[in-house]
Amino acid sequence: MPWVSLLVIVPLVAAIVLALVPQHDRMLARTVALAGTGLTVAVSIVVLVLFDRGSGALQQIDHVDWITSLGISWDLGVDGISIWLVLLTTVLFTLGMIAACQHLPERGNMFLSLLLLSEVGLLGLFTSGDLVLFYVFWEFMLIPFAFLIWTWGGDNRRRAGLTFVVYTMVGSLIMLVAIISTALIARDHLGYATFLIRDIQGVPFSGTASTLLFAGFVLAFAIKLPLWPFHGWLPLAYGEAPIVVTALMAALMSKAGVYGLLRIGVPLFPDGANTLLIPIAILALIGIVYGSLLAWRARTMRLLVGYSSLAHLGFIVLGIMVFDQMAAQGAVLQMINHGVVVAAAFTIVMVLGRGTGTEDMGRLGGLAKGAPRLAVAFLIVTMAALALPGSNAFVGEFFILGGVFRQYAWMAVIAMAGVIYAAVYMLRMYQSTMNGPVKGVSDEGRATELRRGDAIVLVPLILIMFLIALWPRVFVDASAKATDRAIAPAQVVAGRPPIQIAPSATATQERP
Amino acid sequence: MNVVVGIPLYVMSAAALLAIVSGAFSLPGDLRRLPEWIGLLGVGISLLTLIAMWDRPQSGFEGEIRLTHMGLLMSGIILVATLATIALSWGEPAGAGRRGEYIGLILAAATGMMLTVTAGDLIVMFIGIELLSVSLYILCAIEVTREQSLESGLKYLITGAIGTATLIYGFALLYGMTGSTSLDVIGERLAHAGPLTSQPLLVAAMALVAVALGFKASAVPFHMWTPDVYQGAPTPVTTFMSTGTKAAAMGAFLLVFTGAAQGAIADWRVLIGAIAAASMVVGNIGALRQNSVKRMLAWSSVAQAGYLLMGVAVGTAFGAEALIYYLIAYLAMTLAAFAIVILREREVEDGDQLEAFTGYGRRRPWAGVVMTLAMLSLAGFPPLAGFIGKFMLFSAAIDSDMLWLAIVGALASAVSVVYYLRVSIVMWSPEPVRDVPERTLRVPRAVATVAVAGGVAIVALAIWAQPVIDLCRDAGASLLP
Repeated sequence: MPWVSLLVIVPLVAAIVLALVPQHDRMLARTVALAGTGLTVAVSIVVLVLFDRGSGALQQIDHVDWITSLGISWDLGVDGISIWLVLLTTVLFTLGMIAACQHLPERGNMFLSLLLLSEVGLLGLFTSGDLVLFYVFWEFMLIPFAFLIWTWGGDNRRRAGLTFVVYTMVGSLIMLVAIISTALIARDHLGYATFLIRDIQGVPFSGTASTLLFAGFVLAFAIKLPLWPFHGWLPLAYGEAPIVVTALMAALMSKAGVYGLLRIGVPLFPDGANTLLIPIAILALIGIVYGSLLAWRARTMRLLVGYSSLAHLGFIVLGIMVFDQMAAQGAVLQMINHGVVVAAAFTIVMVLGRGTGTEDMGRLGGLAKGAPRLAVAFLIVTMAALALPGSNAFVGEFFILGGVFRQYAWMAVIAMAGVIYAAVYMLRMYQSTMNGPVKGVSDEGRATELRRGDAIVLVPLILIMFLIALWPRVFVDASAKATDRAIAPAQVVAGRPPIQIAPSATATQERP
Repeated sequence: MNVVVGIPLYVMSAAALLAIVSGAFSLPGDLRRLPEWIGLLGVGISLLTLIAMWDRPQSGFEGEIRLTHMGLLMSGIILVATLATIALSWGEPAGAGRRGEYIGLILAAATGMMLTVTAGDLIVMFIGIELLSVSLYILCAIEVTREQSLESGLKYLITGAIGTATLIYGFALLYGMTGSTSLDVIGERLAHAGPLTSQPLLVAAMALVAVALGFKASAVPFHMWTPDVYQGAPTPVTTFMSTGTKAAAMGAFLLVFTGAAQGAIADWRVLIGAIAAASMVVGNIGALRQNSVKRMLAWSSVAQAGYLLMGVAVGTAFGAEALIYYLIAYLAMTLAAFAIVILREREVEDGDQLEAFTGYGRRRPWAGVVMTLAMLSLAGFPPLAGFIGKFMLFSAAIDSDMLWLAIVGALASAVSVVYYLRVSIVMWSPEPVRDVPERTLRVPRAVATVAVAGGVAIVALAIWAQPVIDLCRDAGASLLP
């Protein structure tokens, strides 16, 4: 069975069916949506079971020629990096769907259908082995997200959606030009037209070409992440989107940029990546500090979590760009961690916002009194978000900081500031809403208490956090081979000591 | 003398004459649609002869008419556009009472377009362009009772006359330089006459021809007429102009520049590249602030001319291949978009205004889906036909060391997303309460067919792109010796 292709096809079919469901039949819409995402989780588990952790290359490949004369093909597969992102996507979308189904907005079947379409885009993106296909899914995911903001967003939704689309489009169209240029240069070297990443990997690009192409790709990734100073769309889009959409954007869409960097940017253009190492690392560091400061000063809980995302993604980018085995593995782990934690944090914001009618922290307080169960969950999520030792995020951040320190001690020192700030802003959010005198509610916050529906979404997320905290090696080991392989060429170029470079990774880089 | 080569043209001319003559008689009720049926029949037969000739490309009349793969495919595109235009005109109020004239002129214009893209000689090409232009001047103004329509026709006529003068001047200079009007001979002279290239006279000839053909394709700098004429003309005529005329103009560009003037490529490459870049930028920025969908599509058509011209600017067979594929995709997207506009125009007053489309997708979901697909494809979103076309054009540009052109195209596309998406968003917004009563609620079947066919083609052309690209490749290859 072409399981990986099914990952994309199942939600697509479900989305089309949903669009045809009559509007008033909300029960049927819910059933189709949950069945679609649930089935996708099942498929992703099959893919995980079939996954061979001994290989760092793309595996379980489904290859069908699409436009042969241009060298474009339908080519999907998974590797150690994408397998976890695929699983994260299918699980988070199921939870998101459960949350959305409980409070279905007007024209709910279209809402759910668009959510499923964005899942198609993300899953396709994380499994593409062909650059053009990667671009196709990259753009494919933009449209449903934009429509979700436009149709169901807050008061300022028009501007938010437009800003989001224009920012992203500028980046992605430049990336399209870079993709075509890459393939044309590779064609001269290989003798045939191809967009397959595994074929292009190892093509030696000249120094300038490598730098320019890397820059072309990274611009698109940096906007999607977002990396400072390309984050202009973030407060608007995160602030105006329906909260389920914000959560999915922060948890998963941001990973598309990181994934592109690790899967395409660094392995294909090691020279260019090495040239731009310091500039990008500096942007990431600024993002860490700046995002933390913005989160500290944020007025609403939603923006606080959104800005903290900016800081956390800075960490992940730093982990990839220093070309260190440990840091890169930490970055991959942190991608998963951040996805889970940010989704949980937004769930709590959603519960609070719904119970109190506001997301403004200044107007709330003392809710723990009426909502003790929520307070416990909130505390756990807060601890994970500030990477308390013992939490899942601690492992990831520790790996990243350790690796960064090994290469560039000064960067690690600056990045440490982000860890400290995280404690400040996350605890501020917890304290100002949960502790102190009761504010903003008449019933001591009983309306915000976790109900069963919310628990169904939140508890699995917390369980996953514990799972990663207890057995991080399970996750790191499965992806280590792919991660090593992705950064090995850049490590060689950057002149890292051979002992730091995984021997198996360099061996597989050589072409017969 | 090979007379077979003219069959598709004879059929079309005969159909045009018959349609006009049939309009002269007052037909009884059940024969009311006779001109339309004559038109459909003529186009159908002509299309069949083209398909039959695909395996036997040939030329006739001492090489003045050439049905190469390029000529055959471009004629096919024009005939499909004609077919769709006749379908879109079904029950169109514009030509009421003068159906014969209306259909006859569309067929005559189509004949002119076909003559343009199959021409082997500058004179024949000029006659083709004139035939299509004169027919369209009248068609634009066919709603004699509506002021806007008259204005549209007059504007097109006056600016068109300047375009014609420029074109004939350019052709005359080209003739003066090479001593022949035959495209083949011109090609040979330019290829083997080193001293001819880079002469000011040749550069001037190329510039005049480029600007004049750009006028027909509504490329910058002769694009100013486009928004007014497109908005004023009856919408089916607008559709025909933005598909058929554009195809004819692009065919002429390919024949004259990529084909005949291949030897002097250094003299015109940057020139056409600059026209393309300017059209993309000006068209997309102009479209940003339009409230009439017809006007917006007019500006977008200026931008689309820019994308298409990238395929000419590179001057390679691959460029021609990309251009022709994009032309086919553009045909599907434009027909789908205009069909929905026509649908709306029949229902409400000022149906071309953006507000008229508010919530339209909620009322008629199929129309909403078609319009959304058309807009997304025009904006170049994957995996639709417009994306594949742009992808090929960008590839052609980068492959020929015109990276700058691809980057301008990419940035201009990013701008275009704003106005294309605006339409699709408006389509799905909540429906306002309208105090104006709607005219008809029955969807004209012919218009709906064109819309749906266009929507399906937008997706199908992308999924099964390879067979279509193979056709385009043959056509592109037949341009160069």
